[in-house]
Amino acid sequence: MDPPQLMNASPPSPSPYNLVEVWPSFRDSSGILGVQEGDFARRGGSCPAEAGSNRDGSIEESTVTEQSKSHRWLKRRDPYEDESKVVSTSSANDMTDCDMKRLKVEKGESGNLKKEVAASTGLGKKLAEQSLQPVEPPKQDYIHVRARRGQATDSHSLAERARREKISERMKILQDLVPGCNKVIGKALVLDEIINYIQSLQRQVELLSMKLEAVTSSVNTNVEGFPAKDFNGQAIDTVDTMEFSLHPAREYIQEPSQEWLHMQVGGGFENTT
Amino acid sequence: MTTENPNFNKPIFANRFLRALSRIRRNRPNNNSNPSSLRRRSKKIKMAAYASMASAAAGSNKAWTRALIRRLRNRRRPRSGLHHRVVVRETEPVGRVDELRRLVPGGRGMDFDTLLDETAHYVQCLSSQVALMQSIADSIIMD
Repeated sequence: MDPPQLMNASPPSPSPYNLVEVWPSFRDSSGILGVQEGDFARRGGSCPAEAGSNRDGSIEESTVTEQSKSHRWLKRRDPYEDESKVVSTSSANDMTDCDMKRLKVEKGESGNLKKEVAASTGLGKKLAEQSLQPVEPPKQDYIHVRARRGQATDSHSLAERARREKISERMKILQDLVPGCNKVIGKALVLDEIINYIQSLQRQVELLSMKLEAVTSSVNTNVEGFPAKDFNGQAIDTVDTMEFSLHPAREYIQEPSQEWLHMQVGGGFENTT
Repeated sequence: MTTENPNFNKPIFANRFLRALSRIRRNRPNNNSNPSSLRRRSKKIKMAAYASMASAAAGSNKAWTRALIRRLRNRRRPRSGLHHRVVVRETEPVGRVDELRRLVPGGRGMDFDTLLDETAHYVQCLSSQVALMQSIADSIIMD
């Protein structure tokens, strides 16, 4: 995930709030933003007005990031419960656009805060604008959700809704991957299925490695002394097919120079491709 | 069993894993019947399988591949038979998501949505790995 790329990739959502309109109201409206406004006032007084816009952006960003981080941390303890509760309530399609944007911005933020602060005033303004959005408009469905849940401030629940949508999307993908998981209803059970499947796969790996150990120990004829070239050059193409129709005798090749245990991934790629 | 997985490079997996197998086999001591050495060798094969899987999936740039490689590397250094990670994990809270984090390599530091993404990828690669190991074992037995 490349934060700058995300920033560029985030679609210019048709935001109804013009920056020119929003910006002065942001400066004048003391007390609306609470802590963030206080930060702004304290820091803004000490720096010249020219750099003001840039610094404002950075302060906004840092506070937003901190809040979202702590919020995510809280969520992470049981991301499960509130997902299953609230996904059904997230029906406002018009919100998703700016949801995604905000989430992306915040994510990119936590990645390289300093670089972006130094780089862009536009980002800072955008962020300030976005953090104002939940303050100004009375969005009814949104407050409704918030009241029902009894947690999460406005901007957070916006971001959280986008996050939940992403999560349920990925849950669906996972459900398709895990066999027998499509019939299961409820995310708890789906997660259980996924966990069981992974555990069974890992157990299978364990069993198969024991089996392979036994097999390779018992078979000690006809495997030594095949030329390494045979495997490297020719058999790879055979392996490429799903059937894995290697000739068994080719599988044990003396490769004295291969330092496999160092596990150099890049080297492995160059060797074989 | 498995669908075609574009992120899992089967030739790389097969190449590395077979090399590791032959290497483990070559280095085995003369007395094969010792149960502890049997266990050690099958564990080596398992680690080789996971390492091969990680390198086979490394092209997809997922976090779990790096975490898995790091884990295998760090595990190899102390040659004692102690399992350090097990001790650490006992103290952690137990829940479904925590369980999933424990299963997916590197899953503890992730956001939940990232975790799901990585889990999907990991599951795909694991099943490809199992299928390949199965076919290798079958082909050896047939021999």
